[in-house]
Amino acid sequence: MLMPMLAEINGSIAVGLAALGSAIGVALVGMKASEAVGRNPGAFGKVITLAVLGMALSEAIVFYAIYLAH
Amino acid sequence: MLAFAPLAGWSAETTNVAPAGAVTAPSTGEHALSPKAGKVGGSGFITNSMVVTWIVALLLIIFARIATKNIQLVPSGVQNFAEWVVESLYDFLADIIGPKLVKQSFWFFATIFIFIVSTNWFGLLPGVGTVGWGENTPHGFEVTRPLLRGGNADLNMTSAMSLIFMVLWLFWALRSNGIIGFALHLFGPKGESSGVIKYLMILVFFAVGFLELLSIAFRPISLSFRLYGNIFAGENLLEAMSNTIQHPAWAKAVASVVLPIPFYFLEVLVGLVQAFVFMLLTAVFTALIMPHEEEHEKGHH
Repeated sequence: MLMPMLAEINGSIAVGLAALGSAIGVALVGMKASEAVGRNPGAFGKVITLAVLGMALSEAIVFYAIYLAH
Repeated sequence: MLAFAPLAGWSAETTNVAPAGAVTAPSTGEHALSPKAGKVGGSGFITNSMVVTWIVALLLIIFARIATKNIQLVPSGVQNFAEWVVESLYDFLADIIGPKLVKQSFWFFATIFIFIVSTNWFGLLPGVGTVGWGENTPHGFEVTRPLLRGGNADLNMTSAMSLIFMVLWLFWALRSNGIIGFALHLFGPKGESSGVIKYLMILVFFAVGFLELLSIAFRPISLSFRLYGNIFAGENLLEAMSNTIQHPAWAKAVASVVLPIPFYFLEVLVGLVQAFVFMLLTAVFTALIMPHEEEHEKGHH
């Protein structure tokens, strides 16, 4: 009963899981960045640099899954 | 060298065989951009994205010549803009990687940033990717081989930049550390310990050095795929947004122009951010392999 149900799932599970992880990672970076700027509004420039860097690195993982997974 | 073999394999793959799953025939007859760059003209090896990089390089050279034609002490106009770009990049990088290293290697990081930004934004101009050779389908004329194509939507281009960076990285690392220093940097113990722990730590750090080699070997792959994925996915996104509404002919005409507009803004931002990230990552990788020096107080600058 379970196997036929699982067989109905088509689409790439590799890309799905990678996208899930990537999205959560980016959101975590954004959350902590907003918190940091809220605590110290003067540090906006430095915080946004680090935040953009972290988001880009975290978002790249999904591209590996899309273009490298079978 | 292990990392380069798969990378070369992927480069070959994008020119011969489309990676499976990247180009699937869309069910509603929409056309997905091919991940491989189409050939242009009669020659066997000139591709459309190659032509775009030549055009962008030519435009940048012309811009530089115009900016430096009559150099004034107090700049104005184009020279002012060029100086603003270069000076902001220089100060920013000096802040991150230190003044000594930025003197040696600023030329590379600034070129990478300016070139990638210009190539990404050039790919957003109307006509790039949409004008070219194609075939007549029931849905009208569809372009399958554009004349011009975004330069970084081609894995060959981004791998080339990453590989050049890795060669330069090796050169800078060896020049600053020497061969022994380079090996010690990767495999040598850091921190202080004494007695039996010291010998244990030597073993541990030696093993960790191999892990570090693996992570360094992965860097060209991750650098190239990050840039390629972002720009190619952006092109696909714009095309998908243009082709969303198909049926009432008037709605198709209107929506294919209006729907992509917010995504164009997104792609402008993504082009800038990806160039920035590429430059930042290469700068940080270089700074990490430099020999450690005593920390001065930051208040000096």
